[in-house]
Amino acid sequence: MAVTPTAALVQTLNGIQFGFILFMIASGLTVILGILDVLNLAHGELFSLGAYTAIGVFGFIIGIIGPPGGGVVGTAVFVLAVLAAVLVTAAILLPVGTLFEAVFLRQIYDRDQVYQLVLTFALLLILLDVKKFIWGDSSIRTDAVYSAINTIPTSELVGLNYPTYNVFVILVGMVSVAGLFWFFERTKTGRIIRATAIDREMATAIGVSTDRVFTLVFALGAFLAGFAGAMAVPPTAATLEMGTNPLVLSFVVIVIGGLGSLRGAFVGALLVGVIRSWMITLYPPGEIAAPFAIMALILLVKPEGLFGTWGETA
Amino acid sequence: MPERVDRDGTPAYRFLGVEVTRRETVFLVLGVVFLFVIPDIAGLSDSLQLSVIHQGLLFGFAAVGLNLLLRHTKLTSFGHAAFFGTGAYATAVLARYAGIQSVGLLLLGAIAAATVMAAIIGVLSLRHTGLYFALLTLAFGQLLYAIALGQSALGGSDGLPIRPGPANQPLLFGTAFSPDVYQVLTYYLTVVVILIGLFVMYRITQSPFRNALDAIGQERTRARFIGLPIRRYVWAAFVISGIYGGVAGGLYAVVRQYVRPEGTLFFLRSGDILFMAILGGFRTLVGPLIGGVVLIFLQDVGQDITQYYEFLTGVVLLILVYGFPRGIVGSLRSGGIVNARLSDLRREPSVLSTWGRSAVQSIERKVTEALTSLRIILFGVD
Repeated sequence: MAVTPTAALVQTLNGIQFGFILFMIASGLTVILGILDVLNLAHGELFSLGAYTAIGVFGFIIGIIGPPGGGVVGTAVFVLAVLAAVLVTAAILLPVGTLFEAVFLRQIYDRDQVYQLVLTFALLLILLDVKKFIWGDSSIRTDAVYSAINTIPTSELVGLNYPTYNVFVILVGMVSVAGLFWFFERTKTGRIIRATAIDREMATAIGVSTDRVFTLVFALGAFLAGFAGAMAVPPTAATLEMGTNPLVLSFVVIVIGGLGSLRGAFVGALLVGVIRSWMITLYPPGEIAAPFAIMALILLVKPEGLFGTWGETA
Repeated sequence: MPERVDRDGTPAYRFLGVEVTRRETVFLVLGVVFLFVIPDIAGLSDSLQLSVIHQGLLFGFAAVGLNLLLRHTKLTSFGHAAFFGTGAYATAVLARYAGIQSVGLLLLGAIAAATVMAAIIGVLSLRHTGLYFALLTLAFGQLLYAIALGQSALGGSDGLPIRPGPANQPLLFGTAFSPDVYQVLTYYLTVVVILIGLFVMYRITQSPFRNALDAIGQERTRARFIGLPIRRYVWAAFVISGIYGGVAGGLYAVVRQYVRPEGTLFFLRSGDILFMAILGGFRTLVGPLIGGVVLIFLQDVGQDITQYYEFLTGVVLLILVYGFPRGIVGSLRSGGIVNARLSDLRREPSVLSTWGRSAVQSIERKVTEALTSLRIILFGVD
């Protein structure tokens, strides 16, 4: 099959866009893994909870400000409103994550790891049906945000027909990646979290409340998952099973990047996103299998993942 | 002939290497008889379906295999559906493309395929322990799921039927039976396979091999220092547990006469298998089997009474994690939590109100704790 340069570019951009979404999910998962030593199987459900919540929040905010007004100012207001909606959604997920950690997980840190898996799996099942209870069986969607943002010309300026919303996701993704690294490298809280990851006992000894760090990290993970859900939902629809695929792909990302490594999660997410997207044009049946094949390959060459463990550098 | 031996002061009998006290003999015989009369019991009521119990036994059997890893080497495999699915798909492929009709040959094919698969996945994933191992097994399971989904030769998401040759179903003893008879006969075949499998597992858990696995599970470095070939032992255990999954999957395919990726290879099935082991009690031999029947039965009943049956399963798992971490069998056996509570109750019935109070108190305490953490997160420590 002949692939034109334009098509290749579009697929690459799609891959990068998906990679950023994937990074937001995987980064929360990997930080939780690195610090709490818990594999949060309910993380995909937090992502889809974010998507469902976002549809409501988008509707609410668009109801207030109305459809985008004409001119640069009107468009800018609309984009800012969408960003605000995404942040509100993610903020709604914060208490959910906090409750998960403080009420459920905290009780069983000293038990066998398998119980933590059972617990997060139980939470996965419960969240699944909570969503079914609130939003029903069928998928729900919102087209307003996607179509409104797509009216802004971006890629058309360079002669490429590419949805502006995807460009928007890539830009927001870049900013949030930079923000996350800034948070872990430069802020005091970020450094405390990293210190806890490197040596929990030492961190306790110098006066860090690890309880607090644990809750914070889990809440942060939920925040990022909700953020990703809100960013991912406008072009598609929110469905009950939408959490599964990103969850499993995040596992692949984590293994590729190295357990608990933020930098690894970033590289892994873009790699998985782009390769998966290329496979869609090159060899469609390989789309699902390709990420796992890369993972197996990297494991053979570098068993500890591309970037090893996290802590010393973000 | 059974031979009398003495075990910690209680008389016991030893037969074929199985050592049982009189009490255990009663349970053993009752259990076997119960397994054999299930088709009769299932005929009595509509809510009890043989196929549901049968499926529970099959998944439970896979969980028995997984339990070898979980109980002794402390490795949590989150991809056991890979072997279940490999067995099932090997059966389907053999029936469809090689035209093999005999159930025995199909099962042998399933075992061979699962062994090879377990050997490969084992080599790749056993370099790691803990969560990394769980992640890797899960990812390999999903890889197989993706392959089954993507290959049209394997039927894609529609799956494959098992209808070899001119016969509409695989042949037992070289004969085709009517569907009803076939269902009951395959059930008895399953029971026989399960009994053999449990016996083999029992012998494994009485062997030095099990002690070596225990040592590896408790302290790897020390086990290496005393000269245990860790890699090879763990790998062997992994392959054995994979074979159990493969046998269960092969039987599943023969019984259902249809395999779908969703029902055999999907990672939620891996989760199910793991949780059956925990639910039944992963420190026991038969626990996973019972956990399998209970979980599948629960899901089936749940599906009938409410559309929110996942919620129901989730709540059961929560109760399990906080209230009965030893699982059903572990809690019921002597010294387990249920017996202790029952004897408390018999001695002093007023203990009930104490339990109620302590339950309320602990819930209150947890809510306060949660609120405190929330306050601390939001406003910091003052």
